[in-house]
This record gives sequence, C-alpha cells and structure tokens, in this order.
Amino acid sequence: MPTKDLLNRQHPNPAQLCAFLPSMRVLSVSDFVSLVNETLKALSEADVFAVEGEVSQYRVSQGQWVSFDLKDDQALVNVFLPVWKLGVPLEDGMKVRVYGLGRVYPKYGKFSLSAEKIELVGEGALRKALAALRLRLEKEGLFDPSRKRVLPRFPARVALIASRESAAYGDIIRILDERWGGLDIDLYHVLVQGVRAAEDVMSALRQAQDGAYDVIVITRGGGSLEELMPFNDEALVRAVRASRIPTLIAIGHERDITLAEEAADVRGSTPTDCARLLVPDRRDVIYELASLTGGIERSLQQQLDAWRDILDRAVLAPGAWVTGRIAQADALVSAASAAMDAWFRSLQETLRAHTRLFATLDPSAVLKRGYAILRDAGGKPLTSVARLRIGQQATVALKDGDAGVAVTRLGKQTIQPTML
Amino acid sequence: MSTVKKESKEVDVAKGFQELEDIAGWFERGETDLEKGLEKFERAMQVADVLKKRLAAAENRVKDIKKKYEAGS
Repeated sequence: MPTKDLLNRQHPNPAQLCAFLPSMRVLSVSDFVSLVNETLKALSEADVFAVEGEVSQYRVSQGQWVSFDLKDDQALVNVFLPVWKLGVPLEDGMKVRVYGLGRVYPKYGKFSLSAEKIELVGEGALRKALAALRLRLEKEGLFDPSRKRVLPRFPARVALIASRESAAYGDIIRILDERWGGLDIDLYHVLVQGVRAAEDVMSALRQAQDGAYDVIVITRGGGSLEELMPFNDEALVRAVRASRIPTLIAIGHERDITLAEEAADVRGSTPTDCARLLVPDRRDVIYELASLTGGIERSLQQQLDAWRDILDRAVLAPGAWVTGRIAQADALVSAASAAMDAWFRSLQETLRAHTRLFATLDPSAVLKRGYAILRDAGGKPLTSVARLRIGQQATVALKDGDAGVAVTRLGKQTIQPTML
Repeated sequence: MSTVKKESKEVDVAKGFQELEDIAGWFERGETDLEKGLEKFERAMQVADVLKKRLAAAENRVKDIKKKYEAGS
C-alpha cells in the first residue's frame, strides 16, 4: 500500500506505519527531549534571532529566578533566566526583545526561552527604564539643587558643545549676537543623535575641562524620546555632574527633560532660552549702568549742596557777629563821642574864658584902657611904690608911646575899686 | 590647568560693575569727605566709560575646536 494512502487515512495503524517509515526510530523521553533541545540549539547558532513580544506574568522566585511570559496576540512562550542576567528593569506590559535559546526543561517537560540578553523596545519601555535610572541617580544626589552652581553674570569665554549643522546652533548664535557682544565662543562640533552621540559629547566635555571657560553649554534641538536617549546615558549624565566648569544644557523640547539637563547646573528649555540664560541683554546692562552713574552724580551733587550749606552758614555767622560787634562798637563810640563832645565843649569854654582872661591881661589891652605901665631903666615893670626911690629915673608907657620920668614924691595909697 | 590666556585688553565687566556699585554705596553712606567724593566720582565716570565701550561691542567670536578625537573614526 502506498505511504501516502496510509497517511491520508484517518486512523492509520501505527504498526503498519512503522513498517513503511524507514528512518523512524524509538526514543526514550529523555532522548527525545535532548533531540529537541539539540535541534533548537542548532537553529539558534545557524541563524541569530531574537524574539520580540510583550511581558506578562512577570515574577521573580526566591530572589534568583526571573520568569515571565513573552506574548503576542496569538501565542506566548515562557521566558526564564537568572536575575543577574537581567540588565533592564522589567514590568508587565513592556515590549522587549529576548535573545536566547529555546529549550525544553527535561524535568518538567516545559518549553521555555532561556534568555541570555533582554533589550527594551519602544517608547513605553524606554520611559520606564529611564524612570528607574532617574530614581537611582536622584538617590545618589546627582540632581541635588544645592549642588548646582550659579552662572557668572558676564561670561567672557564659553565652550559650546553642539552640532554645527543643527538649527539649535544657528538659533543660539543668533540670539547671543542680538543680546550681547564680545563673547569668545569655542565650538565643539559633536553628533547629537545615534549610538555614538553619548561618547562624542562626553569626549568634548572632557576636553573642555582644560579650557578657561566660564560656562560649558550643551545644546540640541527637540526630538523623540529615542532620538534624545544619548542625553539620558548614565556615563554622560555623571560626566555632566562632575564637570569642574558650570554647565548650561538645553535640549529643545518640553515634554521630557533629559537626565543630562537635570544634572546640569542650569537647564534651558530651548536653545534660544539658553542664550538668554547665558548672557544679559546689553540694553538692560546699559540702562543699569546709566542708573548707577546717575545715582553717583546725584549723590555727589547732594554732597556739594551739603557743603555749600555749611559754607553759607559759616559765612553768615561771622557777619552776624561782626554786625553785633559793630553795633556794640558803634554804641561805645557814640557814647565816647558824646562824652568827648561835652568835654571838648567845656574845654573850648575854658579856653575861651582863658582867652578872655588873657585878653584882659594883655598889657596892650591894659594900656588901651588908659592905664600906664612904669618900667625901670632895665625895662622891668615897677609894680610897687616900695621899690621906688625919689629921683629914680623910669619910663612910663602909655597907649600911644612912652616918656622918661623921675620920681619926685612917694606916698602909700590903697587901691580904690573903680568902675571899669 | 588653563592653557588659554585671556586677552589683556579684555574688560572684566563684572569687576567694573562691582567697582561702580561700591562707589555708589560709599556715597549712599552719607560720607562728607568732599575731596574723596570728587575722586570717587571721577573714577566712577572712568569705569563707566570703559564699560560703555565694552557694551557697545557688537559681535561674538566663534572658534571651531579640533576635538582630540573625532567621532566615527
């Protein structure tokens, strides 16, 4: 009977089958399982593949063994591995890619995918892993606000780590030129996307440590979570925190802040924002300068005014004193001159009186009145009879001349007051 | 350490502003030394002049740095 007919029949007789299937042999269960495992192993070595699916029923037993079901909408397979091989934090619902060997566990006859390596796939998985990493680094204090340094207000030299071809670079340069001038910018051109980006940025960061920069700026434009993953690289994040020069990082997007930004001293929300955080607007600074100098000018003016006040008072004060003194002196002088006047007047009066007296005593005036003056030969007035001798020669002066006379007689006489 | 020297004519804007703020503070304290006041005023105007010129600088200078190793090599 043809094999085909046999096989097509509903219930072939196994004994008859065996007679016609030459290569078939009888195996023990263990042998059978071994055969299956060998076959599967051969498959894996010949053609490298991984199985992608969703995690469910995730559990860890005895703290050592991880087990979960990897499934799609039609089938599932158990995945099994020791905890130490698990490189990523897993949760039910995550999409993962499992590299490993399918095998049947002899003891329980259970088929499992024995995993060598597990990778996260898709945004959800990325996010979850990121959250776990973030938590771990936060616990280490990498994002601690108290560790963040303040950027200098007027930076002079800046290292800019960015992609020369990116819009972010163009934006930041343009805004910097608008706001400020005279800044020295050293551009470190890097890849900002892809598997090499993290290492590239890190090497630029490392190199910039030796420069005399006031700030290191790292910036790129926005993108999907996967595109921005280099800035969530653990080694890069640690390098940012370890930088001896203050860092300003702006990865242009609003939804997810990358871990590098969280570790930086200052975070910019966009490259444009970055420029604003880096330098002040020169108009504001000019205004502040004018305000400062204006204040100083006013202060000096106040000082001058205060001094002028003091001087004025100093000038006025002696005037008042002097005026007082002058008034006093005036009074004194007035009193003095009044006194002097009176004295002078009395002096004048006395003088006049004396003059009158002298006038009356003047011999010529006496003569004029009709009296005579007797003088002796020497010209000496003879004023007493007692001095005279009879026969004495004398001169008599009268108002209009004189005459020589001789004394002929002497007699005593009292002067009779006459009416003058 | 640092391998790059700062240009000698580089104006330290922060220092200039600090000096002006210090002078303003001196005046605000109500100091009456007029001679010193005039001195400080002159100095303030000097510093302000230098700062004004510095602030008038229009451009920033960009220099490409050769990285010690390039990515992708």
